[in-house]
Amino acid sequence: MSIDRETKRYLVWWLAFGVLMCLLPLGVGPGTLRILIFAHFLAMFAMSWDFLSGRTGYISFGHPFLIGIGGYTTAILSFRFGVPLYFSIPAAVVATMVGGTLFFLPALRIRGTYFALVTLAFMEILYQLTKVVAPKVTGGTRGISGLESIVTGAVNNYYLSFGIMFAIGVVLWLLIRTRLGVALSAIRMNEEAVRSTGHSTTKLKLFAFMVSAAVSGVGGAFYVHYIGSIAPRGMFEINFLFTILVAALLGGAETIIGPIMGAYFLTVLLEYLRPVMPGMERYLLYGGIALVLYVVRPAGIYSLIADAGRKMQEWRR
Amino acid sequence: MAGPLLEVRDLRKSFGGIHAVQGLSFGVDEGETLGLIGPNGAGKTTVFNLIMAELKPTGGEIWFRGENITRVPTHERVKRGIARTYQVPQPFGEMSVGANIRVGMAPDDLWKLVTEGADHAAEAEIGRSVGFSDEQIDTLPSELAMGDLRRLEMARNVAVSPALLLLDEVFAGLTLREIAHISELLVEKKRKDGLTYIIVSHDLRALAPLVDRVIVMSFGAAIAQGTFDEVVRDAAVREAYLGQ
Repeated sequence: MSIDRETKRYLVWWLAFGVLMCLLPLGVGPGTLRILIFAHFLAMFAMSWDFLSGRTGYISFGHPFLIGIGGYTTAILSFRFGVPLYFSIPAAVVATMVGGTLFFLPALRIRGTYFALVTLAFMEILYQLTKVVAPKVTGGTRGISGLESIVTGAVNNYYLSFGIMFAIGVVLWLLIRTRLGVALSAIRMNEEAVRSTGHSTTKLKLFAFMVSAAVSGVGGAFYVHYIGSIAPRGMFEINFLFTILVAALLGGAETIIGPIMGAYFLTVLLEYLRPVMPGMERYLLYGGIALVLYVVRPAGIYSLIADAGRKMQEWRR
Repeated sequence: MAGPLLEVRDLRKSFGGIHAVQGLSFGVDEGETLGLIGPNGAGKTTVFNLIMAELKPTGGEIWFRGENITRVPTHERVKRGIARTYQVPQPFGEMSVGANIRVGMAPDDLWKLVTEGADHAAEAEIGRSVGFSDEQIDTLPSELAMGDLRRLEMARNVAVSPALLLLDEVFAGLTLREIAHISELLVEKKRKDGLTYIIVSHDLRALAPLVDRVIVMSFGAAIAQGTFDEVVRDAAVREAYLGQ
């Protein structure tokens, strides 16, 4: 992979971000770290959504379907069948990619609102199936609790979740800066024109779906082992879906960095609002903030920061 | 090479009860410029859509370089050497001129797309070859005039190195000056790269000096073919355009 000067400059920022986040546990308590762990998982889910929907324009309302496959696969394998985590987690990722293929099939024929609704149906179907099909295995409506932890303690979990999120972030960000990223964006703008430049859009889309599914699978699998349980109501709840979407859009879709920013912003905002607004009204407030931001700055927080950086550079000149 | 570069045999396309293309057959030789004309709704763009596999034919066959490509998908046809422009230019709206050309230049190979970087010098060269200035390479399509948008489509098509280029209403919406520029560009590209063209145009005055031969379509069928002068004198053609 050839890395141009601008990419190298950005990689220095990534490195600085990585170092800063690695030093963070030295200065903050376990409570804050636990909030940030949730932000890392949300960032993984939002990046997964962004790589597929932000790039190609195939808006998914069904990402919890993919995350759920990852979560349930490792939960069932490890809890019910005693499969070790180093096997159950990779198996969960593979299973999610198989699920991603199912997810991909409608994209061969439909896009836009219709595609979004079909993906929503995928989520709903899995929700109902986990409740009624083989409840002895899935745990039915109660789900499965008492899942094995990968590491213990806030600091270790912080480093684990950050490490995975950071690695996914850098890889996806590098991917979107290649000509592959350009071709995927072109699909969003005009799929027919992409075909007429000699590209198999089926192949490109399948790749985007597979990568997105793999990231969801990784996130879902590690997430359920962190929280120690999985239940259909929590996994396939519409609020969970909206949180992923809002994190990606609020941060700035199509940028990979944006969804990470959005995830931190949302999680920290929701957590710090908890003492003031303990009930569901917090969601009302964050919905309001999201709305205002979309109107004022549709390209999200990332664009605000990028513009500020550009202005600073001009000012220095 | 023996035989025509592209051959269309008994091509048919129906949309419900509407027969947009009815048993059309023609060929185009390598290096030839064929004009495809006819009144609105004659089926000219549908023929282009069928040649590019953007529509499935109801019947008939399409042959390219002696090979039946009727079932070959669009991107494979492009790789074999057929490209097209659209009646309404279809740029990638949020991408610069250079990035639009980049999509055309990019290989249909995931590994190469990831591992091989963009060749900005080659992109600029293609841009310049269709008349873009170096400054324009970084502009967005929304800042371009119609003539430049047509150039952009040409550039994106040049990037896929076609042998046959289908030009749909290539002069539509252009000023006389822009028409002259595009015409020069077409002649130049043909001279340098040996391109073969099929041109759909309502602007017969602009088309006349470019074409070797013309096919006139009406209600999905070819009603006349020959040199430009021959077909414009044809009674059936006059009737199709002007009515009885």
